[in-house]
Amino acid sequence: MKIKVCIGSSCHLKGSRIVIQTFQNQIEKHNLQDVIQMSGQFCMKNCQNGVCIMIDDKAFSVNPAEADSFFEKEIITRVKVCND
Amino acid sequence: MTELCADIGYYSLNKFGEELCGDQVSVIEQENNSIVVVLADGLGSGVKACILSTLTSKIISTMMAGKMSVEDCVNTVAHTLPVCSIRGVAYSTFTIIRISQALREAEIIQYDNPNVILIRNGKNVEIPATELIIDGKKILKSKISIYENDVFISMSDGATYAGVGKKMNFGWQRDNIAKFMEMMYDIGFTAKTLSTILLEQCNKLYENEPGDDTTVCVLKIRRREPVSLVVGPPSNPDDVKKMMSLFFAKEGKHIVCGGTTSTLAAEYLDKPLVPSLDYHDDEIPPMASIEGVDLVTEGVITINKVLSYAQNYLEDNQSYKEWSYKKDGASKIARMLFEDATDINFYVGMAVNPAHQNPDLPISFNIKMRLVNELSACLRKMGKTINVSYF
Repeated sequence: MKIKVCIGSSCHLKGSRIVIQTFQNQIEKHNLQDVIQMSGQFCMKNCQNGVCIMIDDKAFSVNPAEADSFFEKEIITRVKVCND
Repeated sequence: MTELCADIGYYSLNKFGEELCGDQVSVIEQENNSIVVVLADGLGSGVKACILSTLTSKIISTMMAGKMSVEDCVNTVAHTLPVCSIRGVAYSTFTIIRISQALREAEIIQYDNPNVILIRNGKNVEIPATELIIDGKKILKSKISIYENDVFISMSDGATYAGVGKKMNFGWQRDNIAKFMEMMYDIGFTAKTLSTILLEQCNKLYENEPGDDTTVCVLKIRRREPVSLVVGPPSNPDDVKKMMSLFFAKEGKHIVCGGTTSTLAAEYLDKPLVPSLDYHDDEIPPMASIEGVDLVTEGVITINKVLSYAQNYLEDNQSYKEWSYKKDGASKIARMLFEDATDINFYVGMAVNPAHQNPDLPISFNIKMRLVNELSACLRKMGKTINVSYF
């Protein structure tokens, strides 16, 4: 699974660094280093709804304060689906 | 572009408790590709010294730029300066360095300031001088060839008195200063940073309470080095190719700033854009890389930081302790523009990013033009040649 987080100006100001750190911590916690590949991405043209991220080819918006619950809800479930 | 040019940096410490500095540095560029730097140290301190040294440096630099002889300059200064009511003399010491880039020579004229130090190939070299007596004043005159990486250090006597009666019995002498600066030679610091380092050392010896106005002016001979920076997509999308081809046609290093801009640059070069996730500084967004581009960074936030570094550079330059080694985009741009570049070409795209008009964001993004304008103004003050093209 590929996760791309927008690190453009607008998303940066809205907290993409926090989202990236939260995700990286979660990946470590759940031992998903081999399953999830994180990368940065410049502007995804959806700045109004930042922080923008892409999970594989699907676009999402993440509020940095809710990055943990987003990870549990959207990412963990997807990983499980993939594994099943 | 192989010709030599002079990188000049100076700054002063005021005598403890004084608001004005009694030392003045004046730099004038002449048409025939030469540059005159005058460092004057007025008698006493405070207002009186400030007036004396300002008059001296301005008169000499203007007259030298007008190709008048040293004798005329000295005579004029001697007859113009107001006479001090207490001491009965009009007095300001001075050092004049004229660099002729075309002739590759330096002419140095010194009156009573500590002698100019020349560091060549990392070693302190004595500058041969002849003595002239003009108007009863003993003046040293030298003419020498200049080479790449020569560092000329002129200073007011506040530098050699640093530490008298405090850290040292007799201050640190000119030889000590030369040795100290020899150690700094190799690292590739700019003239401004070298002058800041020396002043900082003086201030340390003075225990942060300078006993006299202390000024250091460093002049470093270097090769011209062009750097080009593109920021922002053009307002007319049809101009992308034109803008990118002009930008990449420039010789020297290339910096691409901005997410959309780097995407366009990557498309133009037909190379992948690889963003990184490494935050070297929490404030500055991560960088990216494109094969064939020296540096790829985010746009406005990064440039805003570069601007604040540039503004500080022109003052006490204390922030060089950050940008001179840090790995974030802003520090890297600062190093390339402040240290490496002598000629900088800006390519500014004026497209408005709709996302940037969001009033919720903490900084206004309408400031892109203002950032570039202010940054170019700062870089010009650093003595760099700036070209800005808008698209």
